Amino acid sequence: MSLFSEIFVWWHGQTMGTRFYTWRKGKLMGTDDQGNKYYQASDGASIGGYVRRWAIYNGDAEASRVPPEWHGWLHHTVDVTPDESGYRVKPWEKPHRANLTGTPLAYRPSGSILAEGVRPAATGDYEAWKPE
Amino acid sequence: MPKLVVDGVEVEVEPGTTLIQACEAAGSEIPRFCYHERLSIAGNCRMCLVEVEKSPKPVASCAMPAGEGMVVHTNSPLVKRAREGVMEFLLINHPLDCPICDQGGECDLQDQSMAYGVDGSRFHENKRAVEEKYMGPLVKTVMTRCIHCTRCIRFTTEVAGISELGAIGRGEDMEITTYLEKALSSELSANVVDLCPVGALTFRPTAFSARPWEYKKTESIDVMDAVGSNIRVDSRGAEVMRILPRTNDDVNEEWISDKTRFVVDGLKTQRLDTPYVRENGKLRAATWDEAFAAIAAKVKAAKPERMAAIAGDLACAESMKALKDLFDKLGSANIDCRQDGAKIGGKGRAAYLFNSTIAGIESADALLIVGSDPRKEAPVLNARILKRWNQGHFRVGLVGEKRDLTYPYDYLGAGASTLGDLVAGKHDFLEVLKGAKNPMIIVGQGALTQKNGAAILAAALKIAELANAVREDWNGFNVLHTAASRVAGLDLGFLPGEGGRDVEAILEGASKGDVDFVYLLGADEIDTARLGSAFVVYQGSHGDMGAHRADVILPGAAYTEKNGTYVNTEGRVQFGRRAIFPMGEAREDWTIIRALSAVLGQTLPYDSLNALRDAMAAALPHFDAVDMIVPAHDLPSVSDADLAALGDDTSPFAVPVKDFYLTNPVARASRVMALCSAEFGAAPAQAAE
Ligand code: SF4
Ligand code: FES
Repeated sequence: MSLFSEIFVWWHGQTMGTRFYTWRKGKLMGTDDQGNKYYQASDGASIGGYVRRWAIYNGDAEASRVPPEWHGWLHHTVDVTPDESGYRVKPWEKPHRANLTGTPLAYRPSGSILAEGVRPAATGDYEAWKPE
Repeated sequence: MPKLVVDGVEVEVEPGTTLIQACEAAGSEIPRFCYHERLSIAGNCRMCLVEVEKSPKPVASCAMPAGEGMVVHTNSPLVKRAREGVMEFLLINHPLDCPICDQGGECDLQDQSMAYGVDGSRFHENKRAVEEKYMGPLVKTVMTRCIHCTRCIRFTTEVAGISELGAIGRGEDMEITTYLEKALSSELSANVVDLCPVGALTFRPTAFSARPWEYKKTESIDVMDAVGSNIRVDSRGAEVMRILPRTNDDVNEEWISDKTRFVVDGLKTQRLDTPYVRENGKLRAATWDEAFAAIAAKVKAAKPERMAAIAGDLACAESMKALKDLFDKLGSANIDCRQDGAKIGGKGRAAYLFNSTIAGIESADALLIVGSDPRKEAPVLNARILKRWNQGHFRVGLVGEKRDLTYPYDYLGAGASTLGDLVAGKHDFLEVLKGAKNPMIIVGQGALTQKNGAAILAAALKIAELANAVREDWNGFNVLHTAASRVAGLDLGFLPGEGGRDVEAILEGASKGDVDFVYLLGADEIDTARLGSAFVVYQGSHGDMGAHRADVILPGAAYTEKNGTYVNTEGRVQFGRRAIFPMGEAREDWTIIRALSAVLGQTLPYDSLNALRDAMAAALPHFDAVDMIVPAHDLPSVSDADLAALGDDTSPFAVPVKDFYLTNPVARASRVMALCSAEFGAAPAQAAE
């Protein structure tokens, strides 16, 4: 990330403040396969009794990009990181995908006017008689 | 007359009234499942419990006659607790599937559990499950939901007259079934769905398509038969979703026939939605202007006596009035509204009406049916006859095709010769009619479409005279029509004028080349092959026989898409109302004729529906008496010459309704009706032919 965007843009990677805080207090706990980095406060600083944990995204700061294995750790559901617990992706699991709502890649049910193709039969349709 | 106090209100009711009716009269609503005004009392749901002072237990108000001096409480804590208990029992085995139930939103159990349901269940056992039963292509069953009110059983036996539904097993094992897993063979079968207070019986053709609160409800009139049943058309957006009966005690009570109800999908197929003009032997979609120009060219070239018009069975009075006025202006007398060739009309209004009225059937005490199968021609009217028959002391005689009418009758003979015997006093059923206080004669189209139909009509009139059936206080002479448009057409005089041709003569003339121009107003039940080389204009809503033959097609509105006046077989003028707009380029029928008249240079003098209706009412005052019966007293007298024409014809009467489910273009376009027709087959008489 260019220094420029780090100064002026907050929705991408980290901000200057986060970089500084992470440099001072952050202890890198691991990286997921998308390149997002996960930190924990090295001094045990806590919020509401929980040790502070945070992620620095590799790209868009979009919370749903956190894969389920790291989500559990990040939200204190589990205490060990996937790396420590030897987490392995099962062969039948699909790769994690962020929530695409609001993007051009969002899911459109058949019948949506934004989806391509033909509009399915709807209320008020009728079959016209055609002379043969 | 017993006087009683209900919730502090004193009411006086007829002796024999039930407590539930007395409570209603006092303005207290009683929840109920099994009780229904038009069915016998079962008293098995116990939801209608009320507290009667000095009675040790709450009593079921539907099964308890109102007694002198009773003091009734309908909303005391005791009553509430009793009803809550009943509700809890009902819900032990009722599934919690309201979200996927078609009855949801119009379910008595759902509504009443809002008032009397407790918030949790104390039963942890499994709910019982009941297998689905097959009841034919119209009624879908989810028998697990049944609460055993037995309304459906009582309806099929008492009103529909078929004993095909019943209950087997007791207590928790009770099941409603058709015994043999066969379809309900009644023309009124789907009324059980309206009656079923829960979602055990629902409409199969429209399953899972809409919720009751999505509908726009339009009160209208049915045109499938000449009874003019009152219906409610439920539409969503630009689509008619379903048709339900509307209560009218004088006409259809609370019932409608299956054809009336399920013809809706026919309104969405085979629709004419743009004008067509035939060019080089092929029909081509055209604009209104092109279509009118093509007609104008032919009309200008044709001589008035070589033009003709035929009105079909579903036409509204407005369109017939406009078409008749147009042909009058063009100077042609060749118009006819009797597609089937019935020899009727022109002899006084009383000679073609159902004079006793449908409600009047209940005061008749002997009935002679001549050439009619009311069960197929007017199922709702047949239910009235059955209702009268169930009350006892009622003899029915039938001349015509032997059919199952749901009630027993004396079979007198097949055709006109039997009628001759009756007139001559050679048949003892005449004595039955003579001995009756209010004898009744129904003449059907099966007799009137015969070649000697006029003589048959005269003979029927003569029998009415002999039996003293036409008096000041009672008119027992009735004609049962099969076409919704017929009485209006006869009223308006949509009949051949001086020297004019009737349907038979029009077809004859067209095939011989004597008629060049034929205007079909929704007329599909004629033999279009006989139209020869005539130039045919077809105006209508569905592509049926007429449209295939037409040279110009003018797309009209179906009965749910226009404001139209219909006159039923009793002569009752009723308004059908528009539920949705006509399809595509189609227009309301009278406006098409009005627009055409301007192109032909014969502009009709009305520009709005009201002006047209005023014009009708000015000529025929009874068109102003909407929903009322204007009794007609102009029965023609019968001369011996009329009777002599009866001859010694021994041929049997015809059967006007061969296949109940396929009698008109809308029904023939409907897939559901085709299914029914396949399931129940054509009427047995046809198979024998
Ligand atoms: S099916 Fe419906 S109408 Fe028939 S008994 Fe059951 S609940 Fe009553
Ligand atoms: S309504 Fe009275 S017992 Fe069912």
